[in-house]
Amino acid sequence: MILEVKDIKKSYGEKEILHGISFKVQSGRAMGFLGRNGAGKSTTIRCMMGVFRQNSGQFLIDNKEFKPEDYRIGYLPEERGMYLKNKVLPQLVYFARLRGGNKEDSIRSAKEWIHFFGLDDYSNKPLETLSKGNQQKIQIAQAFVNDPDILILDEPFSGLDPVNAQIFKNAIADFVQRGKLVIFSSHQMSYVEEVCDDICLIHSGDILLTGSLDDIKRERGFGKLLFKGENVKVNEADTAIKQAFPEVQTEIFDGDSLVIDTKSQYSQEDLLRFITDKGWTIVRFGMFEPSLNDIFISLVGGEEA
Amino acid sequence: MKKLRNFKLVFGYEFKSLLGKKSTIITTIIMALIVFILFNVPRFMDWFSPAETAEDEKNPYEIITESTGYVFLDEQTGNMLKPMLQIEDEKIFSSREELVAAIENDELKKGFVVEEALKYESIWLDRKLEFEAELVLSEILKQMNISNTLIQKGISPEEVVALQSKEVESTTTVLGKDGTSNTIVAFVLLFIIYMLVIMYGQITSTVIAREKDSRTMELLITSTKASNLILGKVAASGLTAVVQLGTVALAGYIGFVLNKELLPQFIVEALSGTLTKEYLISYLYFTIVGYILYLFLYAALGSTVSKVEDVNSSTAPVSFLFMIGYFITSFSMTNPDSIVVVAGSIVPFTSLMVMPFRTAVDTVPMWQYILSGGLLLATTVLLALLSIRIYRQGTLNYGNKLGFIKSIKMAFNKN
Repeated sequence: MILEVKDIKKSYGEKEILHGISFKVQSGRAMGFLGRNGAGKSTTIRCMMGVFRQNSGQFLIDNKEFKPEDYRIGYLPEERGMYLKNKVLPQLVYFARLRGGNKEDSIRSAKEWIHFFGLDDYSNKPLETLSKGNQQKIQIAQAFVNDPDILILDEPFSGLDPVNAQIFKNAIADFVQRGKLVIFSSHQMSYVEEVCDDICLIHSGDILLTGSLDDIKRERGFGKLLFKGENVKVNEADTAIKQAFPEVQTEIFDGDSLVIDTKSQYSQEDLLRFITDKGWTIVRFGMFEPSLNDIFISLVGGEEA
Repeated sequence: MKKLRNFKLVFGYEFKSLLGKKSTIITTIIMALIVFILFNVPRFMDWFSPAETAEDEKNPYEIITESTGYVFLDEQTGNMLKPMLQIEDEKIFSSREELVAAIENDELKKGFVVEEALKYESIWLDRKLEFEAELVLSEILKQMNISNTLIQKGISPEEVVALQSKEVESTTTVLGKDGTSNTIVAFVLLFIIYMLVIMYGQITSTVIAREKDSRTMELLITSTKASNLILGKVAASGLTAVVQLGTVALAGYIGFVLNKELLPQFIVEALSGTLTKEYLISYLYFTIVGYILYLFLYAALGSTVSKVEDVNSSTAPVSFLFMIGYFITSFSMTNPDSIVVVAGSIVPFTSLMVMPFRTAVDTVPMWQYILSGGLLLATTVLLALLSIRIYRQGTLNYGNKLGFIKSIKMAFNKN
């Protein structure tokens, strides 16, 4: 399955929030939808789910109009919410059945997910009696019950501790492996980097970047070298390299490393020889591959939101 | 098929949630118990009061003898009244001053100074709503005067007594409705509609507002259609009320059957007189459809707010509208034919109360039933459609409280 977001525009009153965004999500590959707060991630997802109506543009699945009610969808909205006063198991079963599951499968699946998160003792307790973290797990379980074909998760990692985040990452990986279509928004780059095959970066209602994470990293690091020395300060190394190789561009990275764009004028060997001739001890030297966080900051600017 | 399936799911889930609530269970039990106990009151009274015997029979003139002193300035009248009213000697005083002193000392509550056959003064310590005492004494004095005059004119005392003891025989034939006995039961049933709408209307509004407040709405709206959600919730509120009322009615019916023999005759007559087939059909139709109408209205209003605490202010106008219907109904007790009452029984938002009440106390032309019933049904359907749109639109407005009119405008806005 390929879910295609095609030229979506959405305004609130006079203000346009999404300026014609487009990207594709493929089943069997997890897609991370990235952006700072207020970039338009949740608005896009809500339009996709039919909560909001877009002003123009289409959501297509395998070239047909995407109607959420025709598919088994697991949805985790950004604004978490379930019935606080109602018991855990019955409401998980209720949501599963509302999305088309039959009674037996829904009960079995809800029990499995409660067990998966280690919350068997709370099955028949009102949701409000659970801790915030455990409530969050039930929210996630709600998206996963009944084995959906499409998973749409808005900020799924917020509020999870590292142990539970790991459990959850494994669950997502399992879904992807089984050929499901998974899209999740986040501004926590490390999680996206670990889980996603593809990314789409949105900023102020525009898509800045979309495609395979590996390709993007390679493109962003193409032709650049990374040097980290022990017995030389990064500023000194920067000045010396620029004097020796006037065409290169440099950038201080992580405070103690230097990213050198050779502009294809010099080879890796030329630079390595220069460094060894200078007598600098090499801690790290090689092709530069930026982290997702680096790419995000370089594109969106400022601090990670 | 899928639509009906999800409607059933929503209905089932909401119904179970409502019925399973401790507050619902406790209120139902308490209300059923109260009704059952009320019907059993005559039985309890039977247990606690000793059986009446001939000697214990109450003095019919108790109202003018109990804690009451007398001064007879007219001796002849005194001689006749004393045995008749069985006035004890210690309650007879020789002068007005002595009587006043006894009343002031709190020995007695009131007193009568009988000056002539047809003239007396009443003296009270504190006067409450006790007009009857004077009426009774005046009537007795009048009758005694007539008897005395007749005896003086040569008619024997026996004949006078015989004349006085003759009763008037009367039969009443009411061709239309007997408003005197029907109003009591109709008013009780009216009160039930009142409770139903105010209580369950508020519950419906709150259930919907809470879903927005807790953000459950986004999950629901992406899982099924707004129409399933609204219709399911309204049906669940509606049926919960029916179950609750049914339980109370059953308790009342059992209480009635068990105590039928002991209940005062007027209650039995009022019940069997009011609960005619015609009244029941009118009552059930207008109550059920009108109740659903109000539930949709409350549901729509619940969708216009995002916080549970805003529900009250948002639903206040509806409660006010409903109160108008209640007042018109009260007014129809005395003026069932007035234009206000007739109009009130046809306008959809008031007809649910006014029409059944009019049916109980007046003869309503068939065309008015058809017009009113049709209008009520049509308005209910329109309001159901409107509330679905407002509910759906309401999901898009987190945080803001919208006015009802603005919500309607937004509901028809394409974006």
